Amino acid sequence: VLVLEVVREAVEAARRAGADYADARFVSEESETLTVRNQEMEGIDRSLSQGVGIRVLVNGYWGFAATARTDEAEIDRTGALAVSIARAASRLPMEPVRLAPVQPVTAEWRTPIQEDPFTVPLDEKVSLIMEASRRMQEVDGLAFAEANLDFYRRSTSFVSSEGASIEQTVVNSGGGVEATAISGGDVQRRSFPNSFRGHIRAAGYEHIRSLGLLEEAERVAREAVELLSAKDCPSEKTTLVLDSNQVVLQMHESVGHPLELDRVLGMEEAYAGTSFVRPDDRGKLRYGSDKVTIVADSTLPGGLGTYGFDDEGVPAQRVTLIEDGTFQNFIASRETATVVSSPLAGAMRADGWQNLPLIRMTNINLEPGEGSRAEIIGDTKDGIFMTTNTSWSIDDKRVNFQFGCEAAWRIKDGKLTEMYKNPNYAGITTDFWRSCDAIGGSEEWVVWGTPNCGKGQPGQAARVGHGASPARFRDVQVGVR
Amino acid sequence: MPGLIGPDEVRATVEAALDLPGADGVEVLFLHEWNGLTRFANSSIHQSTAREDTGIRVRVISEGRVGVASSNDFTKDGARRAAASALEMTEVAAPDLLFPGLAPKAEAPEKPGAFDEATAFSTPEQRAEAVATLAAQPDRDFHAAGAFETSAVEVAVANTEGQFCYAPTTQASLNTVVSGGRSGSGAADAAETGMGDVDAEEIGRRAAAKARDSQDPRELAAGRYEVVLEPPAVGTMASFLAYMGFGGRTIEEGRSPFSGKAGEKVCSEMITISDDALSPLTIGLPFDFEGTPKQKVALIDQGVFRTGVHDRRSAKRARAESTGHALPPPNPEGPFPLNLFLATGDASMEDLIASTTRGLLVSRFHYSNIVHPIETTITGMTRDGTWLIEDGQIKHPVRNFRFTQSILEALSNVELIGRESVIASEFFFAASRVPALKISSFNFSSASDH
Repeated sequence: VLVLEVVREAVEAARRAGADYADARFVSEESETLTVRNQEMEGIDRSLSQGVGIRVLVNGYWGFAATARTDEAEIDRTGALAVSIARAASRLPMEPVRLAPVQPVTAEWRTPIQEDPFTVPLDEKVSLIMEASRRMQEVDGLAFAEANLDFYRRSTSFVSSEGASIEQTVVNSGGGVEATAISGGDVQRRSFPNSFRGHIRAAGYEHIRSLGLLEEAERVAREAVELLSAKDCPSEKTTLVLDSNQVVLQMHESVGHPLELDRVLGMEEAYAGTSFVRPDDRGKLRYGSDKVTIVADSTLPGGLGTYGFDDEGVPAQRVTLIEDGTFQNFIASRETATVVSSPLAGAMRADGWQNLPLIRMTNINLEPGEGSRAEIIGDTKDGIFMTTNTSWSIDDKRVNFQFGCEAAWRIKDGKLTEMYKNPNYAGITTDFWRSCDAIGGSEEWVVWGTPNCGKGQPGQAARVGHGASPARFRDVQVGVR
Repeated sequence: MPGLIGPDEVRATVEAALDLPGADGVEVLFLHEWNGLTRFANSSIHQSTAREDTGIRVRVISEGRVGVASSNDFTKDGARRAAASALEMTEVAAPDLLFPGLAPKAEAPEKPGAFDEATAFSTPEQRAEAVATLAAQPDRDFHAAGAFETSAVEVAVANTEGQFCYAPTTQASLNTVVSGGRSGSGAADAAETGMGDVDAEEIGRRAAAKARDSQDPRELAAGRYEVVLEPPAVGTMASFLAYMGFGGRTIEEGRSPFSGKAGEKVCSEMITISDDALSPLTIGLPFDFEGTPKQKVALIDQGVFRTGVHDRRSAKRARAESTGHALPPPNPEGPFPLNLFLATGDASMEDLIASTTRGLLVSRFHYSNIVHPIETTITGMTRDGTWLIEDGQIKHPVRNFRFTQSILEALSNVELIGRESVIASEFFFAASRVPALKISSFNFSSASDH
């Protein structure tokens, strides 16, 4: 109740200073991070950050100001500062911002969890990753055996001058292992369940217990060592089967970002860039093959983009972006939906209290097809299978991409054969998605987390989710040198 | 109201964390930042923000075990709570056998002129006026996007060894992309300690000229070309080389292209790279995040790799001294050089272009990433102005290329070095000061459609 009073006062302060519209968020973010390397503690870290962000519209111009202090005088000052920032923005004329209507609600929402990760004893967490590290170290030739756990809780109280009053708590839990082998100037790495600190979900500690870190530790370590003696991925045009954790990266970079409507409208031009997709492409552009259906879904259980309401009070939504290969909808905010008539995606999110909400991916999901990974590989005469992302690069309109993975295997007559190191592949976004001729079924479909999606100035990191199965693409350039 | 808290009040508050029963050692990193950012697109101001935050990061050592806790509650109670939380974590942590101890008491050098009052207390109206000046430079059918940020930061490090160092700094950064016409864009930027040194009109004019000159880019086959890299593109290469190679921990662990190569030639003898946060020509703190005074470090001297940078931990492993390059704890990445200098040559930009028989002029790179860390191979795209040079003359703009290129190979093929350097990239207190380079062979692996 006290926190809600602070945000109500923030909205009132902004209104008194002259805001036509105001919303305010009090956000409290807590995190706990544990990292072990070679059974030594690399870091055990807790953080807490809280404050208030106030967003205003004055004569159709945005202003935003944020402060970590919540005394009345500071809230008044910050509200007035947001208004003065909006007034200063009118120095250059523009079409006034209009907001698509949304029903203001009073609501509460929490990530459903079974076991609060912040109450699980620290020594239990440390024991788990120490043991995972120990099991990796049993493999000869391994240089580094790293294991980590990450926990995150974000509590938000949102109030708008339209009458919305929303309290939410989001909880994320994640963990992983990473094995590094070094020999003769070569460094090779294998991770499980995913690279960049593992598999993160909107879930409690029950997710950590389900990961199988101990069971997979030795295999991961062995593969890292084996990569040292593997050949480099050959340079050729071939059939490419991607594991679901790499389909996720492919979708993130070449579907999610180019369909953010703020990018399409040039609002991110100077930093992340724009998009090759135009508003009049809706219903026409063949983005992918008819097997490709991709949705933005913040109602999906377990995704890092799962919540009750976004940071401008829009309820979680499921929006079809690409249906049977044809582009249908953008990821839109209240502002951009009035510029290019679009369904609201409930996708405006801010990194903490101190940043302005931006259009962010929610959970961008490739709808499942049929069959297991083994069946897709079994149905492939000759090709390459790649897993687990290491590297990503794509141009400023999201057309030309090149992505790297940890490991690859030659597919020969439906079987995985020789292992390759340093695999990568490159292509053109729509050519690549149009070449998709197989997507794995729901039994292979995994909701992965990407906790470090960058966008905006000042830079903001978003936690986004992606559901995907393994998928097959034809005539892809692999082994780019 | 934003304003400097000052060393006396900082010291008084962090004392509450340092005075921790049960701890063998405590270190507090204090950061107070306030900034304003005026963001523009389509030649209008569409997203502008201001924020203020004060944070502390407490590292506690107890019986050889280390815990870290951070909080933005900058009160004595907040400091005590963070310290207690860090102490609680030491109780479950395994002993850190390599813990090097806290930084000893040492005087950090002064860096005069690092804090500019006008920048610290700039207003939204001042930033908007600068943006309006910039946006007035392009022709009618072009538009400008970008951001003008002014920020002020106070940083202090205190520990139970008696070390206390404190420094206030400011930074003003203005960047823009001008685009439009039939198709084409140009970029320009500047980062300075004081906003008075940021010339919005010149930045707008420079980007507008590039946008005009990059209209109707033509398709050109990918392949190896001679290349003239403007400083922003060189800055990308310098930053990635630092990330992959210059950290003492990375070198010691055999993960760096420079592991075991001290004293060996690694690139052209024309290349000299150092790190020097104390130089008045860069934006940087005079001490690191452990409280060790910064030292100038010669990394590559006339093509020969000399040494990496160290924090206290990597220094202990390497039986060396910390060079003052620690990042904030817990920092599993190890030390990092934040203030690189690539030594200038004597060529003008015109000389670099005139020396090129058939090659490309690249304004900057976009969204680059590592392909192979030991080979120092990265990939990325060109952006905002790429031109074909033939017989020493700029012929016409070309569509953007993807490059996949070893940085050390490129630095081995340097033919000429520009005589002027600029701060070409900046992130998290980092700023690389680099000139333009002419390189005899650079691998453009594919092309885009714009």
